[in-house]
Amino acid sequence: MSYIPGQPVTAVVQRVEIHKLRQGENLILGFSIGGGIDQDPSQNPFSEDKTDKVNGWDMTMVTHDQARKRLTKRSEEVVRLLVTRQSLQKAVQQSMLS
Amino acid sequence: MPLELGREQSPGSQASLATMPEAPDVLEETVTVEEDPGTPTSHVSVVTSEDGTTRRTETKVTKTVKTVTTRTVRQVPLGPDGLPLLDGGPPLGPFADGALDRHFLLRGGGPVATLSRAYLTSGGSFPEGPEPRDGPSYGSLSRGLGMRPPRAGPLGPGPGDGCFTLPGHREAFPVGPEPGPPGGRSLPERFQAEPYGLEDDTRSLAADDEGGPELEPDYGTATRRRPECGRGLHTRAYEDAADDGGELLDERPAFSAVTAPLAQPERGSLGSLDRLVRRSPSVDSARKEPRWRDPELPEVLAMLQHPVDPVKANAAAYLQHLCFENEGVKRRVRQLRGLPLLVALLDHPRAEVRRRACGALRNLSYGRDADNKAAIRDCGGVPALVRLLRAARDNEVRELVTGTLWNLSSYEPLKMAIIDHGLQTLTHEVIVPHSGWEREPNEDSKPRDAEWTTVFKNTSGCLRNVSSDGAEARRRLRECEGLVDALLHALQSAVGRKDTDNKSVENCVCIMRNLSYHVHKEVPGADRYQEAEPGPLGSAVGSQRRRRDDASCFGGKKAKGKKDVEMDRNFDTLDLPKRTEAARGFELLYQPEVVRLYLSLLTESRNFNTLEAAAGALQNLSAGNWMWATYIRATVRKERGLPVLVELLQSETDKVVRAVAIALRNLSLDRRNKDLIGSYAMAELVRNVRNAQSPPRPGARLEEDTVVAVLNTIHEIVSDSLDNARSLLQARGVPALVALVASSQSVREAKAASHVLQTVWSYKELRGTLQKDGWTKARFQSAATTAKGPKGAPSPGGFDDSTLPLVDKSLEGEKTGSREVIPMDALGPDGYSTVDRRERRPRGTCSAGEASEKEPLKLDPSRKAPPPGPSRPTVRLVDAVGDAKPQPVDSWV
Repeated sequence: MSYIPGQPVTAVVQRVEIHKLRQGENLILGFSIGGGIDQDPSQNPFSEDKTDKVNGWDMTMVTHDQARKRLTKRSEEVVRLLVTRQSLQKAVQQSMLS
Repeated sequence: MPLELGREQSPGSQASLATMPEAPDVLEETVTVEEDPGTPTSHVSVVTSEDGTTRRTETKVTKTVKTVTTRTVRQVPLGPDGLPLLDGGPPLGPFADGALDRHFLLRGGGPVATLSRAYLTSGGSFPEGPEPRDGPSYGSLSRGLGMRPPRAGPLGPGPGDGCFTLPGHREAFPVGPEPGPPGGRSLPERFQAEPYGLEDDTRSLAADDEGGPELEPDYGTATRRRPECGRGLHTRAYEDAADDGGELLDERPAFSAVTAPLAQPERGSLGSLDRLVRRSPSVDSARKEPRWRDPELPEVLAMLQHPVDPVKANAAAYLQHLCFENEGVKRRVRQLRGLPLLVALLDHPRAEVRRRACGALRNLSYGRDADNKAAIRDCGGVPALVRLLRAARDNEVRELVTGTLWNLSSYEPLKMAIIDHGLQTLTHEVIVPHSGWEREPNEDSKPRDAEWTTVFKNTSGCLRNVSSDGAEARRRLRECEGLVDALLHALQSAVGRKDTDNKSVENCVCIMRNLSYHVHKEVPGADRYQEAEPGPLGSAVGSQRRRRDDASCFGGKKAKGKKDVEMDRNFDTLDLPKRTEAARGFELLYQPEVVRLYLSLLTESRNFNTLEAAAGALQNLSAGNWMWATYIRATVRKERGLPVLVELLQSETDKVVRAVAIALRNLSLDRRNKDLIGSYAMAELVRNVRNAQSPPRPGARLEEDTVVAVLNTIHEIVSDSLDNARSLLQARGVPALVALVASSQSVREAKAASHVLQTVWSYKELRGTLQKDGWTKARFQSAATTAKGPKGAPSPGGFDDSTLPLVDKSLEGEKTGSREVIPMDALGPDGYSTVDRRERRPRGTCSAGEASEKEPLKLDPSRKAPPPGPSRPTVRLVDAVGDAKPQPVDSWV
């Protein structure tokens, strides 16, 4: 998905709902996140999936810490994500072509 | 930029396999006899005589009455009518440890009583058995002696209070609990776990059948144990029986059970017991099938709270047996809230109970399922175990406690708890004493050798796991007085004795490796040794190499190289700082003297985990911007360590190759090292690349992480060194790299390889050669299509550490019952997976949001704590070059 900062972007999204696991006293999701507007994009560890929203919170302009906090709220057991994926984009394009 | 999600994460799963000891031979067995269904209840009765010889418990069952017979019976209670009362108890087996004195005292001992059904049903009058001892003691079920009802008339005084029931007359045959061996028989230490029924019963039965001294002493138990006793006993009994009943009383002989109906239920409160008594299985001596029912798990757990201590102990032992390799039982025990009961028993006054409880806990704490471990923590298990360790002198108990702690330590949330409660104790009670280290060494005596005991192994395993728990854990362990000293001493002793393949050594080296991680940042006073800000080149900074922010001086990675060259020149005459006193404690971690130790381990050991850990320790120590790292890198060279490492690149074991490659990479931060490594290691490195691209045999391919590590090492050494780049060409590295880029399934490998190619291409001096060989820029670049890095630019210095995503999960290493220890390493969350400029691959690292935790998860049972160094940049000299942004962070959520 090409992305030009400042320009609106259209993307194919997927909704994902994750129920947090309980590990000890914490609720965990079980994956790592990277990136954030405060991070160097060229060093992003995970470039395939991008999250647009978490439980309604916008993720497009957040710092890494803000993002982490929104994902790890203790009060929320379920996290609903809106995710875009390159592979999704390609899959949709291909299906549109065929 | 929108937040990016990692695709997956492998949380550090720690598997700590703790030892699961094989259940001891089940000595105790409870046997239950089922009575006719439909009979009412049983109640639990416990009878103990003063010397604790009798035990019996009955468990309540809704429909059937089950009686568990104990093997020993000491006394025979006599009913009011002089008939011995039978009572069944659970044959918890011989509390073999003799906690209870189960001896039958045939003579003068307690009355022996086995109320066998025979006894009861025979209808004869019984001799009275020995007078009941104070308190209720009854012989019944036990393997106690069968009592033979004397033919005499009713005996004298009936049993005192606490008489027991009369066995019902249900049985056709008198089937008492197996009469124990005739008096004097003490419970056999080894209880052959077999159905009690037959032989024992028949023993008693026979008596009544014949009513005469026909007690065959060939009853199982009797024969097993003391045939002669039995015989004698029987005879005696018989004789006695033949005598006036009174005599029996006096002498308290054991008597075989006879079929004689015991008094009836109207024995008052004991009446209800008689139903219980039904225990005797039918007497068919020819039938060998067990007639006793094993207790159900809730019953066993109830027995843990039985007033009679041996019952508790036996129940715990039986529980241990049931749990062995049975995850379902372990889960049920937890669900039935058995764990708090066991933990409570750890403080019991009786040693035997504590020991058995600990054995059961060890089995329960072992396994993939972490719930039991959590439950043990929740009921205060960790402090209880540590208390027990402090108090126990018995070696077996210490082994069990430490084994349990090892098991628990693989569960990440418990690691800090173990440190909090147990670190001091484990260090001072186990590690220091067994390591041979003496705090105040006696000048005259030679240094003691380490003792490789099981307790030491377990404790070192536990500490290995907890040392992987992050910066705070490392700090605590480093600062624990005597720990590092003792570990080093033990390792040196191992090297001296050429005994470096054992598990304890492996554990110790892993702890050392973990504690070496980030020493340059974490030890107190580290900043004193940090390299100063770069000053004018060649300034009198002495032997300090400056690696820091080159950007400030020269604005580029390249500058680092240049500076290094200059500074490195100073290193030939490296002077270590003079020390006024010997290093102690954590300082020992980074003294150059450790280099020799690690190199010895690398040379001598055949244990892959030990090799990996030793290389990892060197990797960790060589990382960092501080003076000690500089010394260490130079010391490795001076101690001729480079060839040792290069040779290990030939290892067939992935993890070893990986660890060594990264160690070499870090070591090449030292310029001289870099030159030497470039010359001598290039061939091996290229060979590994070639093997990755076309494995010599199927299945021999290196793992991705290893390949990436090797590639990064190559990259490091060809950066900023034309000679090394030439060596790469000479080693025919270019074709291998291009082929790898083309054929590799792994994006990371391809990127790393293309990175190298780009760097090579950046040397204009080599272009001619490359083009002569047919390479063009296009071909090189095409290999790097996915590379996002700057093309053709000089590769940034060696920071690329896309190393080891630590992901393998290893299984918890738990000790198996057969006492084989499966090493367990705890895996800790992995901080950054890699700080790879180009791409980071989280691959299974679970960063706990902490900086660089590195816990490699390894698949094999030996999991180690963090692999050499953080998976991250060991070579993290500078943050992104020219990049103002902070190092990319990934967090585990």
